[in-house]
Amino acid sequence: MSREDRVAGDEPVTDGGTVADESTGTGSGGSALARLRDREDFVVIASAAALVVFPFLLIDVLGAIGDVIGTSIGGYAGLPSLVLIYGIIVIGFNLLLGYTGLLSFGHAAFFGSAAYSAALFSQVVPSPILMIVAGTVVATLLAWPIGFVSIRRSGVYFAVLTLTFGQALYFWALGPGSWLTNGDNGFSGIEAHGLFVGALPLDAQLIPVFDSYTVMYAFASIVMLIAIWVGNRIINSPYGLIFEALGENEERVEFVGLNVFRYKLMAFVISAVFAGVGGAMFTIHEQYIHPTTALYWIQSGDFVIMTVLGGTGSLVGPVFGALVFEYVANVVSGVSLPVIGSIGSLWRFVLGAVFVFIVWVFPRGIYGAFADLGARITGGGGDGEEPAAADGGEAE
Amino acid sequence: MARDTTTLSRRDVLKTSGAAGAAGLTGLAGCAGIGGGGGDSEYPALGNYPVEGDEVVFGLNVPQSGSYSQEGEDELRGYDLAVDHLNNGGGWVDNWDGLSGEGVLDKTVTTVEGDTATDPDTARQSASRMISRDNAIMVTGGSSSGVAIAVQGLCQEENVIFQCCITHSNDTTGSECVRYSFREMFNAYMTGQALAPVLAEEYGEDLNFYQLYADYSWGQTQQASMEQFFTDVGGWNQIESVPTPLGTSDYSSYLSDVPRDETDVLVLNHYGLDAANSLPQAIEAGLDEDMEIVVPLYNRLMAEAASGSIGGIFGTADWNWQLEDDATQSFVEVYREEYDRAPSYGARIAYTQTLQYAAAVERAETFYPPEVIREMEGVEYDGAGLGAETMRACDHQAQRDVLVMQGATPEEQTEDKLLNIVSQTSRDDMGYACDAGPAAECELGEYGDE
Repeated sequence: MSREDRVAGDEPVTDGGTVADESTGTGSGGSALARLRDREDFVVIASAAALVVFPFLLIDVLGAIGDVIGTSIGGYAGLPSLVLIYGIIVIGFNLLLGYTGLLSFGHAAFFGSAAYSAALFSQVVPSPILMIVAGTVVATLLAWPIGFVSIRRSGVYFAVLTLTFGQALYFWALGPGSWLTNGDNGFSGIEAHGLFVGALPLDAQLIPVFDSYTVMYAFASIVMLIAIWVGNRIINSPYGLIFEALGENEERVEFVGLNVFRYKLMAFVISAVFAGVGGAMFTIHEQYIHPTTALYWIQSGDFVIMTVLGGTGSLVGPVFGALVFEYVANVVSGVSLPVIGSIGSLWRFVLGAVFVFIVWVFPRGIYGAFADLGARITGGGGDGEEPAAADGGEAE
Repeated sequence: MARDTTTLSRRDVLKTSGAAGAAGLTGLAGCAGIGGGGGDSEYPALGNYPVEGDEVVFGLNVPQSGSYSQEGEDELRGYDLAVDHLNNGGGWVDNWDGLSGEGVLDKTVTTVEGDTATDPDTARQSASRMISRDNAIMVTGGSSSGVAIAVQGLCQEENVIFQCCITHSNDTTGSECVRYSFREMFNAYMTGQALAPVLAEEYGEDLNFYQLYADYSWGQTQQASMEQFFTDVGGWNQIESVPTPLGTSDYSSYLSDVPRDETDVLVLNHYGLDAANSLPQAIEAGLDEDMEIVVPLYNRLMAEAASGSIGGIFGTADWNWQLEDDATQSFVEVYREEYDRAPSYGARIAYTQTLQYAAAVERAETFYPPEVIREMEGVEYDGAGLGAETMRACDHQAQRDVLVMQGATPEEQTEDKLLNIVSQTSRDDMGYACDAGPAAECELGEYGDE
């Protein structure tokens, strides 16, 4: 029943609309793809398939290519999980930024508080799943008052308020709170004992031949799938439609008689839940947490960059942003080029160049670029005379 | 020792789980590692042991961006020189026992580089890449104690040896020490021991001092050590000790709070760019007319940036190219040949730590980390430019001489010479026992083959 609503409700709004624009209103193939994309089980299954091949592509395939060209461009064992962890966070962040249109610059507060809570919790019960629960609960409880205050202002004031709360927490963790957080020395000694009461250590390999598939990765994949499923549920529900409407025009939503403040606060809290899950996962993955990583405002800025880079208009778009970001930060930064030498500290420069390029050429981010490409291919293959005339004509 | 009966400390958890993790790791590596280890596989696989093929990889994890990036460049120069000498001979390799100049255990040394960005977590991820993708057998580098502490923790978990580079905090070989990490550099505690007697003699006794310190791991232990030794040695009296955020560029509000009529000595516990900002601002505010200024830890970046202000100001340094012993002279010579400038102490530590590891491997005749660690523990050496040194077994802190320096006046400064050596405090006159000072808080953890 609700699915009927969703499909019907989705037609006139953004996604279907832009696709239809590109393939100029025709293309039964295009709209079938669009419909498929809205199906919940399809989204989850397609994501699962992508998650299965992802480490293989990132580590083994890129590693093999790197061997051929003589530059190490493959990822390392921990990278796929790290990408997923940031992916989970930015899926939630996008609910706030991409749909509700609120730019928070303080999400590191939720990421970090969850990370520290999970770290502290691990000292008592070293169970990854319970660590996530503990971290998320703390992040959620923290999001409530911060959201309650910040939501009252909009635009740049909102951004600065969230930033301020985040920084306050950062300085607390570094100074007065160091009895709890171990301050600048960082919180180490976190030990998640593995899944099923330690029976499956997180760094164990799932498949003996491929060292890219660890238990940690499988664990992160499952959490990622849940995040995608929940995110999909939310944006395709009437509730999510209101988020989207808030992003479009707040006043109209108010005139319809909805409580804008309440919806915005919920969007804020929901995104904090995702950040909390990601923060706790980060602690489990890294087994170390430091105020600069967890709470400093640059971390919040990174979330924004990942989200915009990946594409704010879609559910999983930001995950691509997280992938590109972490790849550049962790792999490209270690590449040595023949003439230029080591990339090293230039990685932020490379990232900036990528960012400018993507945002310039594909305003809807990486996912938008893929979507356009997909629409063009299916449009050209379906019937579309228009696309064939447009680019096929030039090529031939 | 018997204090931890009531609460479960983080370290305890780490210890027990570290054992479990190590057991798991060996089990895992068992199926992946065996086969083709040459004649080198009398030990079980551990960390990145055994080393496959004709090459062995060292991971150089230095700050290439962030506030200490200039030191990172110097460290890299030192590392590159060390690797070149290990493979082709030259420099100290010719004088150190065991080193052949034909690689390490007949394997050619190659390196991978990473950028720590002067940020602990970036440094960990970079080290993680070196260990799991590039199979680095040893990781070295870092500038900033936060980074060193973060990376050495990772290396302990991964059973890969970490050779600290620039890190001056007491905690590195104190409360946060690990079995897999070694430190050649001295620490804040030793700075206090070396500096306090010189200052007491120079400036007199019963003075009032006022401290500003960078508010992070290093600055906190630094100011605590200054307080302890200035009070103990000179009978000085601390007026106040004020934290300043790391990366502050304007210190004028902190400096204007210094009580001019009461204060005799102002201690600026700042490093790198921070010191390059705070010291000239203190001089500009005219504080040097009313009191003496001390910068406990000098480095080249700061000396260059503040060159007009450092005349006569006391501090300590790890090492200086002006020393006249043979090791120093030969290092300075090869370094100048290669880079056309005098080496900073960052370059010396980088160079020394790399050779130390290689020499330990040669003595152990294997890359198997626990054996290499045992070879390094308690080793006596004297070819590193500072006379006789000991890499102490109980906390992996080198016991060595410390230099007390004084800034040169602008007229006598040259491009390389910004500081003058006042004295070389012998290691016999300082240091601390294994159950005293920072070492008392150190519990090293597992070798990985228990």
